[in-house]
Amino acid sequence: MRRVVITGMGAINALGHTAADTWREMLAGRSAIGPVQAVPAEKLRAKVAAEVRGYEPAQHFDDKRLPMLDRTSQFALIAAREAVSQSGLDFRQGDLGERSAVIVGTGVGGETSHDEAFRRLYGDNNPRVHPFTIVRVMANAPACHLSIEFGITGPAFGVVSACASSNHAFSQALQTIRAGSADVALAGGAEACITLGLTKAWEAMRVLADDTCRPFCLQRRGLVLGEGSAIFVLEEYEHARRRGATILAELAGAGLSADASDLVLPSQAGAVAALRRALKDAGLAPEQIGYINAHGTATPANDPSESRAIREVFGAHADGLPVSSTKAVHGHALGAAGALEMVAALGALREQAVPPTANFLDPDPQCDLDYVPNAAREAKVEAVLSNSFAFGGLNAVVAVRSLR
Amino acid sequence: MNESVERQLYEIIAKQSGIDVATITPQSTLKDLGVDSLTAIETIFEIEEHFGVTLPDRDPNFDTDSVQGLLTALQQALDGAAAAPDAA
Repeated sequence: MRRVVITGMGAINALGHTAADTWREMLAGRSAIGPVQAVPAEKLRAKVAAEVRGYEPAQHFDDKRLPMLDRTSQFALIAAREAVSQSGLDFRQGDLGERSAVIVGTGVGGETSHDEAFRRLYGDNNPRVHPFTIVRVMANAPACHLSIEFGITGPAFGVVSACASSNHAFSQALQTIRAGSADVALAGGAEACITLGLTKAWEAMRVLADDTCRPFCLQRRGLVLGEGSAIFVLEEYEHARRRGATILAELAGAGLSADASDLVLPSQAGAVAALRRALKDAGLAPEQIGYINAHGTATPANDPSESRAIREVFGAHADGLPVSSTKAVHGHALGAAGALEMVAALGALREQAVPPTANFLDPDPQCDLDYVPNAAREAKVEAVLSNSFAFGGLNAVVAVRSLR
Repeated sequence: MNESVERQLYEIIAKQSGIDVATITPQSTLKDLGVDSLTAIETIFEIEEHFGVTLPDRDPNFDTDSVQGLLTALQQALDGAAAAPDAA
């Protein structure tokens, strides 16, 4: 079977504007959650978010292009440029563009453009909607812009599964390369979802924390919205080896499942199925996993259910297995979550250090794993699982390992 | 306790969960009444819309709390709204 390796990564999110900055902050456990700025705080119950700060679009895009780009696509392009640059690939050389794919997950697509267009229409009674609204809002826009930017003409599309979108994108890219439909894929996720409309909608579900995000701990009060993008260059192993590329890790497998039960209550059985399928697909024994980047939303329901699922799959090994949720520092970036968390997975593999679960106060008796509270830890990490469990009961777990 | 508030609350719960209003007692939990998590959130929204109040954010056990708990929270919200009519 063709193997798939990762030869480039890029990221922009509340923790930083590059993958290296993102990893450094994750490892330090410094939370980027703060007072929300994109929307008027007085209209919100929960007035915190993990927003991208100090970001000037004009530094990245010219006047002609910027009006075409929702914030979501901007983030995807910035992350992809970093990843492609690291990989050293030029998709316009030979037939590489034709032999490459673009698969980008997003939860809601161009939410900022959507909110702004309809605020003008309904709020201001301004009858003119901007003519680029459709091309900005469409959920496939990040994938489109990546294909145009780099001249990639192979399979390209968006993937939508709420909070599991990125991991579904990785899984799809993995299968595409394994099957021989492409040799290289840009894959990851992008989200810019912190608008008044969407934040109020999350507020109505009563799952937002009003203080900060505290996964797995007793005082957790729910999730905190985040935003950003992370994009990775996935490459067929021999293709990468032949050109002497620096290989960051192997994308060893993915496991997908659907709960087929409640729309919002997570199912332990669904999580267990996805975890087991990821291990099987990657050819890994549970004992080989040295770190799990948890879904860890810090909602009352997710964290105990995810903990029980991990215990069910890993048995005795669960006691010595570090599990952390980096959502405590970068928030829940929905469709970009799994991609941001891939930065944590690769960091753990490459530096043999596990990022902590920040903002941790007291243990919850319902959550009985080793969550690496507040301080990073050196650890022997041969392989990592990264969990994403979406609303709707759609689960995707990916496995990465050091290249043997 | 204001009987009409209680009555209206029961009717909202009955409508949302599709059960006979006569089966609801103050001791019933939403779970006993077969109200799933998403329906519980919707029920709370309907209560807020109907009475024009904002109920406190759900604590971890809100949807397994009793109808009496909901009624108390509602009555407190109504009293608060009456005491501070200018509050947003």
